[in-house]
Parts: sequence; structure tokens; C-alpha cells
Amino acid sequence: MKKYDVIIIGAGNGGLAAAATCAKAGLSTLLLERHNIPGGSASSFVRGRFEFEPSLHELAGIGTPDEPGSIEEMFNRLGADCDWHKHDSTFRLVVPAKEGDKDAFVNENGVLVTVDARMPVGFENFARKLDELVPGSYESCMAAFDLSERMFNAFKALDNPKMLPGILKDMPDIMRMVSHTLNEGLDALGMPKKAQDIFSTYWCYMGVPGSKFDFLYYMAVLHSYVRSGTGIPHLRSHEMSLAIDKVIRDNDGDIWYNSEVTKVICENGKPVGVVINGEKEVYGKYFICNSYPIAVFRDLFDKKDVPEKQLKMLNARKTACTLTTVYLGMNKTKEELGITDYSVFIAPDSDSDKQCALCNDFGSGYCIINCLNEIIPDCTPEGTCQLFLTSMTFGDVMRDVKPQDYKKFKTKVAKDMIETCEKALNISITPYIEEIEIALPPTFARYLNTPWGTPYGYQLEKWDSMIPRTVQYMADQPFDNFFFCGASQERGDGYGCAYYTGEKAGGIVVKALKEGK
Amino acid sequence: MADLKSLSAKKFLSMLPDRQAKFKAAAPVLPKVADNATALAKALHPKRQYLKIAEVVDRGEDCKSFTLVPDTDKGTQSLAFFGAGKYLTVFETIEGMPVTRAYSISSSPKDSLEGKYVLTIKLVDGGLMSKYIFDTWTVGTQVTVSAPSGNFEYQPLRDAAKVVCVAGGSGITPFVSMANAIADGDEDFEMTLIYGSKTYDSILFREELGALAGKCDKIKVVHVLSDEDKVVEGTEKGFITADLIKKYAPENEPYSVFVCGSQQMYAFVDKEIEKLGLEKKYIRHEMFGEFHNPETQADYPAGIPEKVKITVTIQDKTYIIFGKSSDSVMQTIEKNGLAVPARCRSGECGFCHSHLISGKVYVPKHLEYRRLADYKFDCIHPCCSFPLTDIEINVPAAK
Repeated sequence: MKKYDVIIIGAGNGGLAAAATCAKAGLSTLLLERHNIPGGSASSFVRGRFEFEPSLHELAGIGTPDEPGSIEEMFNRLGADCDWHKHDSTFRLVVPAKEGDKDAFVNENGVLVTVDARMPVGFENFARKLDELVPGSYESCMAAFDLSERMFNAFKALDNPKMLPGILKDMPDIMRMVSHTLNEGLDALGMPKKAQDIFSTYWCYMGVPGSKFDFLYYMAVLHSYVRSGTGIPHLRSHEMSLAIDKVIRDNDGDIWYNSEVTKVICENGKPVGVVINGEKEVYGKYFICNSYPIAVFRDLFDKKDVPEKQLKMLNARKTACTLTTVYLGMNKTKEELGITDYSVFIAPDSDSDKQCALCNDFGSGYCIINCLNEIIPDCTPEGTCQLFLTSMTFGDVMRDVKPQDYKKFKTKVAKDMIETCEKALNISITPYIEEIEIALPPTFARYLNTPWGTPYGYQLEKWDSMIPRTVQYMADQPFDNFFFCGASQERGDGYGCAYYTGEKAGGIVVKALKEGK
Repeated sequence: MADLKSLSAKKFLSMLPDRQAKFKAAAPVLPKVADNATALAKALHPKRQYLKIAEVVDRGEDCKSFTLVPDTDKGTQSLAFFGAGKYLTVFETIEGMPVTRAYSISSSPKDSLEGKYVLTIKLVDGGLMSKYIFDTWTVGTQVTVSAPSGNFEYQPLRDAAKVVCVAGGSGITPFVSMANAIADGDEDFEMTLIYGSKTYDSILFREELGALAGKCDKIKVVHVLSDEDKVVEGTEKGFITADLIKKYAPENEPYSVFVCGSQQMYAFVDKEIEKLGLEKKYIRHEMFGEFHNPETQADYPAGIPEKVKITVTIQDKTYIIFGKSSDSVMQTIEKNGLAVPARCRSGECGFCHSHLISGKVYVPKHLEYRRLADYKFDCIHPCCSFPLTDIEINVPAAK
């Protein structure tokens, strides 16, 4: 039987990027996926006359032709063919007023709110808008973007030693950003509290609130959105996944779908092969794993072969948040429905920690509503549009639900989310639903095989944030020929993050094999 | 200028040691985390359910009901709960040929909690699987099925509170399950079932449906008889037309129409339903079923060779097989003794999603459920793709 240079377990975004990197470098590559299509979260599904985007909100890694973003660059490097739509705004945050709120006002939708912030692209624009909403926040906002600009230059310098002397002066600030939280950073810059709340809106994209999220990583995320806007693939993220699938095949890589790794074979305490669907053995020199460490060490390894550190890491870490998404095919256009934005974050409180605390159960009133037709007008048939509602939860929120109650439970959760949006935007959604699909944590658990169904990996806490994870990446890997990639790794969730980890793991294997290891 | 000077830069230096200490202090055992999300996913979507037949009821009209219970010896301890309207895909091997068929569950969702599914199956003229089932399934026969699947279900956020269910012949099965679910309180809608049969005596589930309507005021049943000579009180004569649906549908409030029957029935009834002028959202259609005779379609090209060569790659094995252009790619692969991933066999579920490496296929328009990017990257659903030339195809492993 053929022995592969590298076997990649799982064709999620990380696994796809890893396999494409290896195949393109000429390694004999086998990518194994337990589902029938690639992508994991990056996929699509059809209901009636609608094709839904299952997980993607937007890609911060799509830039401009002059300055392509990181995802565009990776697609270009790999030769993966995907058409992008650019989007030139960031988010709108709406905080409906509660009884007794003194600073409440009626917004353009005729809703009583305490915050309605529609934030533009471009640092200067963003800061001016923030200052308009919360006078006195311009300077601190620009200072934050200046820090993130310097931070990105420092990252670039890591790959380009010639730049190093130029960024040395920035090192103390970068060290401060890494070791302090978003709230601490913004406090130090003197940003007014209400401006901080608006500024922190994207916390949910990594699932870590302002008191826990490190300032550096938050700034990296926000910077990439505000700098030049975002993008979305023309044919849902299934296009991205099939584009990379094609790169792998065109470079003589093998992809086997419906081929679940059911065991990792070890010899002398080190992986040498895998068993597929409980019956077929395949051997390889290197392994890249897009599945979560907990699933891998619990289900695929003999107990004796699991390194002790890996078990300890699993116990020290917390599983990140889970998501609930409602996909709606509407028999009215977005104009008819009165939808004016691609992305509206509806929050019962403007403070990210309070928002987070509300998400310990369903019905939090926290909900993001997206309308893909804002970016791709013809993504649904004429006279229709599609909506995508997202809310987040923490912990084993499904604990009391029995299989026979699940359908009703799911419908109730979706109804709450829809009503939250209807109220906050003063629009009517329910009568115009032509297609609906509801994904709760069990849906994600089914497709992603992650604890609680999280798509977000392990909680990026202050002590286990992106930079420490990155620095210790090699030391954190279980074997010298077995590397993890995907949301469970350095950067947590996000398409760009998963691609990054996959490409990096692929690069490590390519380098090792070129060096004859 | 605002800056970070008030924050300590030195804190950074303790981060890595802190992190290592955190790991070091943790327990070296596999964590046991309460995870009901995963438990639910597994309970509702088992990869396979191993069952055996506990009872067979001959309903006449070439129709039998099979009661399936868990085959605990083979590892199935309980049955997956389901929403009324879902189907099970049955896996069989007939003369060395792996074959699958999707059958709607006719029993109540509640029965599954007591370890019981009922599949009610009609013997189809020339039908491979139904003939095999009628010949071989008896009490004690072991049967392997999928998890409950499909989207033909009531959804209160989408569908009207009142539903006219239009059924023909053995297309009654999902509606029997739905009616039971309403009576049990698992579903909440008002059902007016308009059920077409040939004669009064050939009505399937006549007594059960009557009993359900009798005990639950949310269920109403109207029998429509096409070939009945006698006058039967309380029944309609003829076919299910738009006028007939209107007669029983609510007058000044919205209603949904759910349809399930044979392909011949769809050919007639779909046109009638169109005449009702309902919004698309109010029409739910059960899957079409396996499609045959592509050459009958108006857009099927002329001059297609009868015999085609199909080069199939599944994992690391490549097979060269031959078949007819009038058979779907999936049928030809199965007829050659190879297992393919198959569930709905109607184009809808996408489970057989495969890469077409070379050649051309024909897909009937009404079975087009592919994703947009599938066209760009030459992916097809073999269950409803018919080869127009010799083709090369990469198919996922059967699962």
C-alpha cells in the first residue's frame, strides 16, 4: 500500500489549506473527510429556491486590488479560483432602550434605542463617526488604530528581519497590547465608555468579551475590517471550498470524502497511519489534523499513546461559545421588508461583558441579522431575499432538552430570535418566511464533531490568547509528525484564521520533508 | 496623544510561564464534559439503525406495513425520534448489488420512543426493492436503515396554521404519521386530508384515519375515489382537482398545501395546485422519487448513444463499468455491484454529491437541487444525472 507524505484529517478550512499547500509543494497528499463535501462550516445548502450561506458573515481577508487581503493572497498563491464581492461598511449596532434609560432616543426605524451606530470603513471615517456618536472619542479611536497599524508592521517584520530595527520602538506597546484586555487598553487610551462599547462590537466574532479579550487580537480583528472593508464569495462559501478542493486535485492530491478516520495507528508511541471507516488502513509520514484535540484523543488514539500534556491542555482550557443560526428564505425583497444594512448587531445592553453574561442561555435578546442580498443582490430569485440570524450561547445550553422535545425547542428559539429582530428594527419578518432552517448547537455538533458543537475552538482567554498560543505552537503539538490546524489552534475561529493555521501546518510539513526529516 | 504608557509592558514577560504553569497544574486525564448537544446530535442522527421486523400487516392493494424494532444484538438500543413526514433510507444487497430506497415513516413519532417504526410499502410494478422486500421481509428479518431524514415536515414559523394535505395511494404514509403526531400533541396544526384512492375498499389506513379524525378535531379526512362504481356517502368521486381542494380549504384565511403521491399523481395534481394561485411558501412537496426515462423530457438531447462507459473512482480504486444512458449514473454504478452513497435518490438531499471529471450528463430540470458552485466545479448528484457521453466520475465512499 502506498505511503503518503502527509495525511490530512478533516477537510474544514484548515485541512483544505493544509492539503492544498502540501499538494502544491509536490508532496503525496491524502485529505480525508467524513462528510460528502468539503469545507466543514464553509459550505452551503439548498432549500426550495434558496441556497443558504451556513456560517460566513464576511471575510476580513478580502482587500482591494492594490492591497489584497490575506485570504485573497492565499487563494492567489494556491491558484484557487473564487469570485469575491466587496463590502464597504462594517457593522451597525442597535441597542433597544429599556425602561428608564435616560439617554434613549427614537432612531430612523422609529425604535426607542440607546445606541444606533452604523460604522463606516476607513480609520478616519470610523473615528469621526464614533466621535459624532460619542463626542470626545476621536483621539482615542485614532490612537487605537495607530497601535494596530504599528502592530501589523511588527507582524510583517517577523517575516522580514530587515524591518526589525524600525519596529523595535513599538515593542513595548505591542507587549502591553498582548498582556492587557480590550477594556484595559481602551481605558488607558481614555476612550469614553459608550464609545468603547461601540468599538467592541466585534467581540462576539471571537466569543470573548472586553474584560477577557486581549487588546492586541481585538485590534487585529477590528483593524482588518475597518482598513478596507470585507468580502464575500459570489457562490456562497461552498465556492471557496470547492476552489481549494480543485487545487488539491489538480496538484495530484487525493481527497476521499465520506472517509472518516476512526483510529490513528501508532507505532512506538508515534502516529504512522490511520484507519478509515473502521476498515481501511492508510499510512503516512506526517499528519495534519483539522479535528479538535478532544475528539482526536478521546476517539482516535489508544489511551497509552496520548501524550500527558495534551490531556492537561484539554483540562486547562474552556470550550468556546456555541452558535444558533436561523436561515430564512423570504418571499419579499429586502426593500419591501425594510432592511437597509448587511449586518446589524442587536444587543440588549451595549456592554460586551453584559452581553456575554446574557448568553448563558437562549433568549438573550442578542442577535445578529445579516442580509446577503445587500452584498450580492441576485443571490436569491427576483422578489425574494435571504436572511441569516445568529446568536451565541456559552456552556451546555442543551442540557435539559430531550430528543422528542427538540423540534419544538428549536422552533421556540428561532421564534425568539426572529421577534428580537422584528422589534429592534421595527420590521415584519414572520409572514414572509418561505423557507426556514434552524441550526442549534446539536446541528453544529453533528456536522463539526466539536464539544457542545462549538465552531470557535477553545476560549481565547487572557492567559491562553493568540500570541502565547502562536509562540508555543510547536511545543503544544502532540508529536513531531502530527500537527493540529483549524479553530482549535492559535487564532481561534474564523475562515482566515483556519486557513492560516492550515497553511502554516502544511508549510511545516513541506519544510520538514524538504530537509529530509 | 492618547497612549498605553499607563499599562505595564513587563506583564508580557510572565505570560508564557503562566500559561505553561496553567497546563502543568491541570489533570492528566480525559476530561468528562456534560455535552447534551453532541448527545442529541447522536440520538437524532445515528449513522445507521439496525432493526428487525416484529410484525407484518398485509393491507391489500399490494401494500404491506412492516413494524421495525431495534436489533439490540447488532447494537441499536433505541430508535431515533423524528419529525412526522421524515423518511428512512433502507439499505439492502440484492443479488450482490447494493440498493437503497427511501420510505416515509407511517407511524407516529411517539411510537419511536417505544421502539417502533412502521414502514408501509407498496409493491411497485417492476420495482426492484419493493419486490425484494415483499419476497423476503418477514418477522425476524434484519433490516438496516438510515437516520430519519428529509424536509417534508410541518414548520409552524413558515406554514399556515391550516394545512390541506393532498395524498394519492401509498403517498398517504407521511400524512398518517403527521395525523398521529397531531393527535399526540407533537405537532400543532389543523389538517384537512384529501386522499385519493381508486375504490372505497382500496383506501389504505381507512380505519386508522377514521379513528384519528374521530378522536381529534384538528383532523379531517376526505376520501376521493377515482374508480368507485358505488355511491359512498361522505366521499368525493373523481380526481383531486383545484375545485375540490377549494371546496375543503379554509375560505378567508391562509392555508398550506402539502402533497405526496406517485409521479403520475404529481403530473396531474401539481397543475391543479398551481391553479389555486397560492404563494410558493404555502406549497410543500414531498420528494419526487427516483426518476426514469430521461428521453421523455423535452430538453433531452437527440442522438445519445444507448451504451455508455463510466469510469468510477472511489477512494483509491478505479473501476471501468458499462451501462445504459437511460439509467442514472447511480443506477449503473449499483448495477455493477458497487456501493454509492445514497439517501433520497431524488436529487434533493445531495448525499451522493460527486465530482464529474470528464464527459457530460443530463439532469432533469425539476430535480436540480445542486449548489451554484457545483456547476462551476463540475459536481453532480449521480442519483438524478444521466450520462450523455462516456464519463469519468469521482464518487465518495458509500456510507
